[in-house]
Amino acid sequence: MSEQFSIFQSRPSRLHALHPVTKLVLTFCLLAAALLLPGLWTNYLLFALAILPLATLGQVTGPLLRAVWPTVLPFAISVFLIQGIIYPHGTPLFSLGPLTLKREGLLLAISGTGRILMVVSNFILFALITRPDTLMLSLVQRGVPGGLAYIVVASIQLVPRFRARAAAILDAQHARGLETTGSLRRRLSAIVPLVVPLILSSLVDVEERALAIEARAFNHPGPKTSLIEITEAGWERPARWLLLLTVPVSLGLRLWLG
Amino acid sequence: MLTLDHVTYRYPNTERPALRDLSLTIPAGQFCAVVGANGAGKSTLAYTLAGFVPHFYHGTLTGAVTVAGLNTASVTLADLVRRVGLVFQNPYNQISGTKFTVREEVAFGLENLGVPRAEMLERIAATMQLTGIAALAERSPLTLSGGQMQRVALASVLAMQPQVLVLDEPASQLDPIGTREVLAAVQALAASRRITVVLIEHKLEWVAAFADRVLVLADGALVADGPPAEVLASDVLLTHAAGQTRYTQAARLARAQGGWPANQPLPVTLPQAVAAFQAARP
Amino acid sequence: MDIVLEALTHTYPGGVTALQDVSFTLRAGEAVAIVGQNGAGKTTLVKHLNGLLLPTSGTVRLGETDTRRRSVAQMAAQVGYVFQNPDDQLFQPTVAREVAFGPHNLRWPAARAVAATAAALEAAGLTAVADRHPYDLAPSERKRVALAAVLAMETPIIVLDEPTTGQDYAGVARIGGLVDDLIAHGRTVITVTHDLDFCAEHFARVIVMGQGRVLLDGPARAVLAQADVLAQTDVEPPQLMRLAAQLPWGDAPLPLTVADFVATWIGRS
Repeated sequence: MSEQFSIFQSRPSRLHALHPVTKLVLTFCLLAAALLLPGLWTNYLLFALAILPLATLGQVTGPLLRAVWPTVLPFAISVFLIQGIIYPHGTPLFSLGPLTLKREGLLLAISGTGRILMVVSNFILFALITRPDTLMLSLVQRGVPGGLAYIVVASIQLVPRFRARAAAILDAQHARGLETTGSLRRRLSAIVPLVVPLILSSLVDVEERALAIEARAFNHPGPKTSLIEITEAGWERPARWLLLLTVPVSLGLRLWLG
Repeated sequence: MLTLDHVTYRYPNTERPALRDLSLTIPAGQFCAVVGANGAGKSTLAYTLAGFVPHFYHGTLTGAVTVAGLNTASVTLADLVRRVGLVFQNPYNQISGTKFTVREEVAFGLENLGVPRAEMLERIAATMQLTGIAALAERSPLTLSGGQMQRVALASVLAMQPQVLVLDEPASQLDPIGTREVLAAVQALAASRRITVVLIEHKLEWVAAFADRVLVLADGALVADGPPAEVLASDVLLTHAAGQTRYTQAARLARAQGGWPANQPLPVTLPQAVAAFQAARP
Repeated sequence: MDIVLEALTHTYPGGVTALQDVSFTLRAGEAVAIVGQNGAGKTTLVKHLNGLLLPTSGTVRLGETDTRRRSVAQMAAQVGYVFQNPDDQLFQPTVAREVAFGPHNLRWPAARAVAATAAALEAAGLTAVADRHPYDLAPSERKRVALAAVLAMETPIIVLDEPTTGQDYAGVARIGGLVDDLIAHGRTVITVTHDLDFCAEHFARVIVMGQGRVLLDGPARAVLAQADVLAQTDVEPPQLMRLAAQLPWGDAPLPLTVADFVATWIGRS
């Protein structure tokens, strides 16, 4: 929905019912695993064995794939072209006219794409199952400074907010005769009138939003309460510590096998 | 009660003061309007009463500002925002950006203040009723029109139960009957709970209809202070390009063309105008 | 050129039907105000006039052309649209360059572009700040920059979405003068507004919208006098008409301006 400020999808799932900090820890550990674990196909395995089952548990498989696909596919194609074909050195695998696919490039492309796949899908899954406000509240309750908590939360919202803003700017500039379709030159010259208002108005937006939340007592000292009930099952706390143990394990595996 | 004592303020890196040697006292429960041309310092005054000047905007503030017994410069902004509710001119800038429904949005301030959940639910229901948005409770704030959004902002601020309510140009977003409803609700609240209301507004017909007292700002200084019937009919507003209600303009023109008794005061509200024009018929 | 709306219906992707079977013709050179409650569909309606929105059913024709057949940028030469939020379009380092952007897109010769820009700056009262960065100006001034930017394109039709919001008395008067000027030069001016006094003083025709439908459409005097219909869409008649309604006005024409009011009132005395 273009009118949303976050891609959160409310579902009556066990995954959604987890405490926000548990979700954050889970995402963090998966991120560590994605970046640290060695192996060419590891990230694809992680995606299939961790992300997809979690998404199914969270009943958000559809939205996840729809959000991940348009981001990862163009990346995969471009890295395949750059690393696999354009990169000059390496063992040729096969040729098609002037273009030669090299083995080393292909391997780099596969591992690069795998990493992007994991990082992007991990992040999107987190945004799909986590309410920004309860996350912010949980962080602040644990002593994270308000400003930092707001930034963490705002980063989940960045894309949808930007998208809505960008749509409004596109309309406004079209109405002033700016063409954005057609020749490459025309499209390139449309970039500045589209990007600059986006940046400037986002900066103004940031200041105004800071003022707004200040006026709503965001920095009020003392414990905060929540309209939405935030629950934490008894087993979540120890589970979080266990999850965090996977980080040194991932690191260890990298150092040992990498 | 609000007091300004010889207050002068400059925004950071500016020469011209936005507020110049302002001194005034607003008693608790008064419905006070602030009018003046753009740039006269109305919004700056609003921010000063709420403590955003100097805590958020910094700059140089001299003189003393006392709000609800606190000197704004010596307490934190957090102490002040509980006591002074500020409804901005642009309601889209007022939403937290983290809530999915109007009900949750109204709750945001209460969550930050640590209000217990049961009490939160009561307060939210009450203010949504008061501002006429109970039917919008489950809507996403982002799908609302400007006027609906303005009411949500007002409900959110009122739920925090401030002692002072500052409204920055509410009529700019609301349709006419909406403005009337909101101002009437605020006026009733001011009377029943002794909340001090400071209304910044260009549309003088609303000032005439609801305010007990009108302050005119020009270039950061206070140039007039009195009841609406007096201030809004005076020449001061014309001198400082702050406008007049159409009723006053019509009476003025009639007077200039000889169709108005010289001693009859100029009307500022509709009832006054009806009475005055009827009385002025030969 | 005329704009013809025929059975225009618009349903947003979320399922909300914002416009229901709206039909009317906006003739060249008319001054039309569209009023109604927040959420009545006013902005949705005017966004169809230059193709920002396309009908879900029904048609919108700009002259002979169905708006589905042209891009918004192509129609920008005919229909200028001043958005409510100027910050969605400002990107140039100076006001003058911002205002010149439209003529630049229309590929006018330099001389014409320069003249149009200067005239637009003058009309919007911005000549003194022409070299300032738009974001250094106050929000109400930025709104006038957006207005000047559209004026410079010299389009035969201009749509103003809530032009007086945030303007002070002098600002509203300037915009009113500008509208009168455009009409005097034969341009079509369409505005969405909830300032009924501004509406009465400058717009000869008023369309009242409520819940996506047209409730009233006609000359300002006739439409704005119907307080009960206006109330259905949270609108009140302008101040002077409300006053006249409570005075012995007889069958004299209802007043749209202060001068109208005083002339009639003195005349009747």
